[in-house]
Amino acid sequence: MRPKENMEEFVKIRKPDVTTSREMDKRTMDDSLAAMEQTMRAKSADHKPSTARIITPSRMIKLTAAAAVVIAGISFYVHQGPGEQNDTIIVAEALESPSEIMTMKSLKIAYHRGGVEAIENQCEKALKILGPQPASISTAELFNGSQS
Amino acid sequence: MAVSLIGQVDLMVEDNILVWKFNRGSKDALRRIYEKFKDDLLGLAITLLRDRSLAEDVVHDVFVSFAGTVGSFHLSGTLKGYLSTCVANSARDRNRLRSPRLTGPDVVETACCDSDGPIENAIGIEESGELQDLLARLPYEQREIIVLHLHHDMRFREIAKALGISINTVQSRYRYGLDKLRSIMNSVVTK
Repeated sequence: MRPKENMEEFVKIRKPDVTTSREMDKRTMDDSLAAMEQTMRAKSADHKPSTARIITPSRMIKLTAAAAVVIAGISFYVHQGPGEQNDTIIVAEALESPSEIMTMKSLKIAYHRGGVEAIENQCEKALKILGPQPASISTAELFNGSQS
Repeated sequence: MAVSLIGQVDLMVEDNILVWKFNRGSKDALRRIYEKFKDDLLGLAITLLRDRSLAEDVVHDVFVSFAGTVGSFHLSGTLKGYLSTCVANSARDRNRLRSPRLTGPDVVETACCDSDGPIENAIGIEESGELQDLLARLPYEQREIIVLHLHHDMRFREIAKALGISINTVQSRYRYGLDKLRSIMNSVVTK
C-alpha cells in the first residue's frame, strides 16, 4: 500500500512526454494567425475614425479649427447683421437724386436688406438732400422739382 | 525554494510580456506562446481523452480561440493555467460528445491483461511509465483534477475556479482519485 505522498510522486514524475507533430504545428499556427488577423480587422473596422477625426487628429488642430469657425461666424455676423442698415445708406448715397432714391427698385432693395426701417432711413436721406420744402407741395412735385 | 519562487516570478513576468505583445498584435508573441505550451497542453489533452487525434484537435481549437481574443485578452492568473483550463474544458466537451465505447478504461483494461502476470504487469506499468493507462481507469472528473494539479501545477483553488466547482469538491475528487489509483495498483499486484 503506497502512502498518499508516494502516489502523488508516482503520478508527478510520470508526466507524459509528448511532442506535437510538424503538421499540427503548421495547421494550428496558420489557423491561429488567421483568427488573430480577422479579429484585428474587425476591431479596426469598429473603431474606424470619422472624417472629422481624420482631419483633426491632434488637439492643437482641433482648437485651431474651432477658432477659425468662431472667427468666420463673427465676421459673417458683422457683415450681414448690423451691416444691413449701412448697406441701405450706401445704396442711398450711391444714388444721385432723391427721385432715384425713391424708385421702387431702390426701395425694394432697401426693404430686402433692412426691412421697413431701412425704407424709412432711405426716405429721410432723400428728404435731407431735398432740404426744407413747403408743406403744401405734393410728393410728385417734390421729386419732379428736385430733378429740374 | 527561493530559487523556485524566483523562477516562477520570472516565468510570470515573461508570460505577462508575451500577453502584452500579443494584445498589440504581435504574431511572434503568439508563436512564442504556442511553442512554449504546446507539448504540455497536448500531453494534458491526450491524458484526458486517450486519443491523440482528438487531443490535437482540442489544442488546435484552444489556440485558435485564444488568438481570436487579441486586443482584449486579460490574464488574471498564469498563462499556463489559463490554457490548461481551456484544454481541460474543451476536452470535457469532446469527451461528452464521443461514443462511450471509445473511452479509456476498456481500452486500458485490455492492454493491461495482455501481459504474462499481474506482478509483471504492475512492474511493467511502473517501469514503462504507462501512467496514462492507470489514469484512464479513473472517472473523467477525478483524472482531470489529478492531472491539472500534479502535471500542470494548478492549485486546488485555481482548479475550482476554472471548473466552476467548490474547492471541497476538487479536493475530494483528488483524494478519491488517488485512492482509486492506489487500489488499482494493489489489485494488479495481488491478483
